[in-house]
Amino acid sequence: MASHNESIIREPLITGKDITYAKITNDVLHPVENMPTKAWWIGFTVASLGACLWVFAVSYTFWYGIGSWGLNKTVGWAWDITGFVWWVGIGHAGTLISAILLMFRQNWRNSINRSAEAMTIFAVICAATYIVAHMGRPWMAVYSLPLPNQYGSLWVNFNSPLIWDVFAISTYFSVSLVFWYTGLLPDLATIRDRATGIRRKIYSVCSFGWTGSVKTWQRFETVSLILAGISTPLVLSVHTIVSMDFATSLEPGWHTTIFPPYFVAGAIFSGFAMVQTLLLITRKVLGLENYITMFHIESMNKIILLTGSIVGVAYMTEFFIAYYSGGEYEQYTFLNRFTGPYWWAGCMMYGCNVLMTQMMWFKKVRTNIPISWVLSIVVNIGMWFERFVIIVTSLHRDFIPSSWAMFYPTWIDLSVFIGSIGVFFTLFLLFIRVFPSIAMGEVKLLVKSSSEQAKKKLLDSGHIDPSHAEFYKEALTKFDSVELSDYEKV
Amino acid sequence: MDSNKKYWKGLEELNNDPEFVEKNKHEFAEPIPIEEILSGGGLMAKTPRRDFLKALGFGVGAVTLAACQKVPVHKSIPYLIKPEEITPGIANYYTSTYDGHAILVKTREGRPIKVEGNPNDLLSKGGLSAQAQASVLDLYDVNRLKNPILNGGDASWNEIDAFVKKELDAIKGGGKLIRIVSSTIHSPSALAVIADFIAQYPTAKHIDYDAISYTGIIQANQNSFGKAVLPHYRFDKADIIVSFGADFLGTWISPVEFTNQYVQNRNNKSLQSKKMSRHIQFESGMSLAGSNADVRIPIKPSEEGVALVTLYNQIAGTTLPGSKKLNNVTADKALTIAAKELLAAKGKALVISGSNDVAIQVLVNAINSLLGSYGSTIDLDNHSNQFAGNDHDFVELISEMDKGEVDAVLFLNANPVYDYHSSSAVKDALKKVRLRLSFSDHNDETASLCNVIAPNHYYLESWGDDQVLEGYYTVVQPTINPVYDTRQAEQSLLVWSDNAVKEYYTYVRNNWDKSLLAKGGLSGQKGWETLLQTGFVKVADKAAGTYTFSRDLNGVAQTILNQSSQMEASGDKLEVQLYQTVAIRDGKRANNPWLQEMPDPVSKVTWDNFAAMSPTDMKKLGHVQGDVITIEANGYSIALPILSQPGQAQGTTSIALGYGRTQSGPVGDGVGKNAFPFHSFRNGTFQTTAVATFSKTGDNIILAQTQTHHSFEGRNVIRETTFKEYLKDPSSNSGGSIKHKKYDDLFWQDYELEKKPYNWVMAIDLNACTGCGACVVACSAENNIPVVGRDEVRRRREMHWIRIDRYYSFNDEGKEVTEEQEISTLKDLEHVSVVYQPMLCQHCDHAPCETVCPVLATVHSSEGLNHMAYNRCIGTRYCANNCPYKVRRFNWFNYWNDSRFDNYLINEHTHLVLNPDVTTRFRGVMEKCSMCIQRIQAGKLKAKMEKRPVKDGDIKVACQQTCPANAIVFGNKNDPNSEVSKALNSERTYYVLEELGVQPGIGYQVKVRNISEFEA
Repeated sequence: MASHNESIIREPLITGKDITYAKITNDVLHPVENMPTKAWWIGFTVASLGACLWVFAVSYTFWYGIGSWGLNKTVGWAWDITGFVWWVGIGHAGTLISAILLMFRQNWRNSINRSAEAMTIFAVICAATYIVAHMGRPWMAVYSLPLPNQYGSLWVNFNSPLIWDVFAISTYFSVSLVFWYTGLLPDLATIRDRATGIRRKIYSVCSFGWTGSVKTWQRFETVSLILAGISTPLVLSVHTIVSMDFATSLEPGWHTTIFPPYFVAGAIFSGFAMVQTLLLITRKVLGLENYITMFHIESMNKIILLTGSIVGVAYMTEFFIAYYSGGEYEQYTFLNRFTGPYWWAGCMMYGCNVLMTQMMWFKKVRTNIPISWVLSIVVNIGMWFERFVIIVTSLHRDFIPSSWAMFYPTWIDLSVFIGSIGVFFTLFLLFIRVFPSIAMGEVKLLVKSSSEQAKKKLLDSGHIDPSHAEFYKEALTKFDSVELSDYEKV
Repeated sequence: MDSNKKYWKGLEELNNDPEFVEKNKHEFAEPIPIEEILSGGGLMAKTPRRDFLKALGFGVGAVTLAACQKVPVHKSIPYLIKPEEITPGIANYYTSTYDGHAILVKTREGRPIKVEGNPNDLLSKGGLSAQAQASVLDLYDVNRLKNPILNGGDASWNEIDAFVKKELDAIKGGGKLIRIVSSTIHSPSALAVIADFIAQYPTAKHIDYDAISYTGIIQANQNSFGKAVLPHYRFDKADIIVSFGADFLGTWISPVEFTNQYVQNRNNKSLQSKKMSRHIQFESGMSLAGSNADVRIPIKPSEEGVALVTLYNQIAGTTLPGSKKLNNVTADKALTIAAKELLAAKGKALVISGSNDVAIQVLVNAINSLLGSYGSTIDLDNHSNQFAGNDHDFVELISEMDKGEVDAVLFLNANPVYDYHSSSAVKDALKKVRLRLSFSDHNDETASLCNVIAPNHYYLESWGDDQVLEGYYTVVQPTINPVYDTRQAEQSLLVWSDNAVKEYYTYVRNNWDKSLLAKGGLSGQKGWETLLQTGFVKVADKAAGTYTFSRDLNGVAQTILNQSSQMEASGDKLEVQLYQTVAIRDGKRANNPWLQEMPDPVSKVTWDNFAAMSPTDMKKLGHVQGDVITIEANGYSIALPILSQPGQAQGTTSIALGYGRTQSGPVGDGVGKNAFPFHSFRNGTFQTTAVATFSKTGDNIILAQTQTHHSFEGRNVIRETTFKEYLKDPSSNSGGSIKHKKYDDLFWQDYELEKKPYNWVMAIDLNACTGCGACVVACSAENNIPVVGRDEVRRRREMHWIRIDRYYSFNDEGKEVTEEQEISTLKDLEHVSVVYQPMLCQHCDHAPCETVCPVLATVHSSEGLNHMAYNRCIGTRYCANNCPYKVRRFNWFNYWNDSRFDNYLINEHTHLVLNPDVTTRFRGVMEKCSMCIQRIQAGKLKAKMEKRPVKDGDIKVACQQTCPANAIVFGNKNDPNSEVSKALNSERTYYVLEELGVQPGIGYQVKVRNISEFEA
């Protein structure tokens, strides 16, 4: 494809020697084509136990009622909507990576988009279960769809942000699913071609008769681009609408025009953190260091830093506006985040999301895998607390002081949340067993232009400006998957 | 007989044509098209195999499914002969009497479902207490005795009668004593029955025993004026009221009546005529009356006597021997001002004391005599019959029983084993009594020690009468056939005394025919029928005489001062003040879940009693709220959680009576601890204070409070002013709400409510509302509001559609302090102002709940109401989150069908109390105040049938109807002459959170405090 040589000063997107198309296929399909390892079994057991806990906790809630959660007359939403927004936010990275980065031709996305998209889908599934589970009468959930009916044409309330949410989430889920699956087709065909017996049949059906002809590839590229075009506004719209669940209310702490951009930035922030959390492990466990390189890790850290800083600015803006508006209730709400009974939640939110991520200004931090991993977890803890603070701390003390109350979670609240993480990881672990966790077809595109060996060849050709060569070699020092000794004599 | 008649089925047969003959050869006249139907193959067949299988499959499936469900058999038994007066769906109202108040009982299809005040009731003009409202539920209490009990086993009434008569005759023959112990009876007919009984059994005597006794006042009036009566107090005639620990708005003597009187000098009408009474309260614990006082001074129980002596000295200008100065500077100062003001308002002043001590009440009489209260604010001639208990008589009875002189005790509405201070004394004494009989309809603490229980009818099943005020005769009539096999106590007494009149109904009739009807200018059957419709007869009041106190006070003062020093707690002891709560009172209705769940007006605690302590004391002793302490006095100890009560006098604790029942039923048993044993008997009366030691237990429990934040944070949801400011500018501090301009709104559909015939709104006068909470229970009864129990209240999930918010504010050197942060730094937490604010759905015209509901389950009506369609609700709870008033209530569980909520309202019979006009709500749906939409509909229907528009006052919502203070006015805003329009036009009107632009439909009137002289 890219027949010309890529500039030497760009860092390689694939490292390692002797990377061939076959090696990529072998490396990526290793977990799909072999029996799972012990580590996978351990992870899967833990995750599916979590999923069982979720099934139990949600069934318990359905059986006895929402009263089994810690909600009360004042705090009508707490861990449920916190969990919902948290999961939707996490789901944002996938679309951003697959759609926006594709449009901007950011080729480094090719190694991470598959997992990120899968993650999106699983996160949206977790989020959607929260929507249904938090309803008082989930068996009447169908009322929230604008279906023709016999009630004298009774429609949904198009004024309600919750209805917008229904549309937003369902659109998002279906588009993400289609996008993800379309991308999977060539890779599924690869598995099919290498498989035998029943697996071959299954993958044959799943790959929709992919032939790999030029025409097919051309259509594939076109569809990808169109889907990217459709998905791009969704990246912005979904969390904008989720933020309107709050912003269109009267509640001090919710009723804020800054919410849409603030929420979108926060969503990308937490989404990238989750991608980071997962990929740092996947990379190690599945031995994919050559495809998910330090460059990827650092790039994601940079996005986390950027979005984290946007979120930080949003926080400051909120406080400023609360002060500047002179609104009594607004002021109290923001003061209450630090001085009220939930001050610790406020500290977790601001500390984790703003203070901790500012460490990413340091390259040493950005390129340190253990620190990056810990920070990615910290970010998601912080983002969970952000939603908790916005929802619970605002609700628990609003206009009428007589109704001020505290929210205490029950063990069911806790089980649903932990269980939803279990569901997520169960799905993710199943995913890496049956689908290639890296988009092989797209990574292969980069071998001839952006891989370390292609660059090495370029260096070896000797036609490179020495200062550029030095720059390149300098850049390679951060990579943990590059043998620097190879470059000593070059 | 032969006949040649020929029968034929058709012309074909008659004519016998060949075609017919041919056809008739076969079994079926025409060929059955089996072949045709089954012919052909595959899809070409007439009836393809698939169609056949489809039909078969569907048929079998449908039949199987239909057969799966065992169809429940609901037996509905129609009236064989429909009673003329009962139309299904139409309520009937019957006059009756509750505790002396004329009431109306609403019945549907023959079952009482609600008690409402008789609008013509002399005492409270239609207002009723929470207890009265809740009383209807007790009718259906499954824990009532279902039949009489003889020696612990079920018995028939004949067996009981035979046994009791045999016993009584034997006792009569043996000359042993017979005693009837009852709480005060104010029914003329019942008293006559007892008199007849005593005539039959001359050794019998009737003893009035009240758990909450007013013997002190009665005795004091005997001492002072020779009239052993409870006077009729007239708070409506008092310009200045000084109360020493008498909670006359909550529990003292006749609180509903007093509320009605009290508010007449404080409501909008009074304010507009530039008149407002002043109320000064000296008390230990924060009572309902104290919380409404303009000035409230905390004093210890031991200081009350000294304070009264001081007040007397100030007013009389003398010094009683032994007088000493109060150790309480604020109280001392307040007493001086109070004395000055009382004297200035001579003839329109009233001093009362909640003490049951004769000496104190004599001194109070002396003060009132000096102030010229007799004949104006105190009426001794048209006296009250509400309480006649004589403590001494009961104590003497116990010693008689102990000595074995008494062979028969009959308990009528009395439960001394629970509420006498020495339960063991009663128990021991009872062991020596041969015939122990209780008329209780529960197997209560006393009844369970009796060998005969002859369960009484409930008042809603009874005939009777009442005379709670001299000359005010009310009638009691049954509204339902007895639910269980019970018999009216009076009837039993008639039977046992072989009375000539066999039926108590006849007895009552005779009694009325003989004398009472004539008093109301009625006579005969017609008169009786008129009485049953009006409910009462009133004899013109006698002129209230003036009485002058002329006895020597030196001895009295000495007694008081001696007692005061005895009561003084030294060291680390606490002075205990015992009081009744508005909901539970003396504990007789402890098994009523509505009352248990009704938040105490002041503490907002449900389902428990507690030890109220001053926050200052708690800090000093290192206690936090909920710490369980053991309190010991009179050799009795109980462990109670502490409640932090601003305004509680330091060094004291207040404990509610009426809790800790052990045999009231599953609802009331074990709720709280019994504090009656802290009572003591001194100088001929029960004393309601004690000196106690206390110790930590180390436990901490969470009290089930419906409100846990107690200050209004300086927010303008509460607006109050002083009377002085009000006189200068009536719109003082109201924000001039009614002058606000309304802006057109781009986003809101214009309902054009002002062009519609009706726009239902409400006005609530914060200056009239005393916070008594009767509306909360009335609303529960009217709207089938579930009871959720202590644990759910702890989780802040009570379901009440109307709540009374109670806020404390403090005074720091003239500055009002309302914010949590500042309050925590204050030293003086005793001088606290209280404000009550009833809060319910505001029916906003731009309702924030409506816009956020995804499924249009809550929508606006063309009459300005905010509707809730339960069937459409999917329970996202966004409406509740977005409600700035937090008045929406969510059904967290299926409160109507969940075993965890058994014993509250889902017993075998309790669902009979449900209002059939209001659906019960399933779990997962939101609910809230509907402004009694069923009443609005009923009112509109009635008007329509009478071909007229709805008149103002036709429709009364439940909370408004029961409010003894008339603080709530409901009506049509589009009628400029309606009460509510007038009320909302008051300069004091403001709307809570109006700045949010939600356009609430309920206007509040600013609270006014009459404190001018105390401000400095």
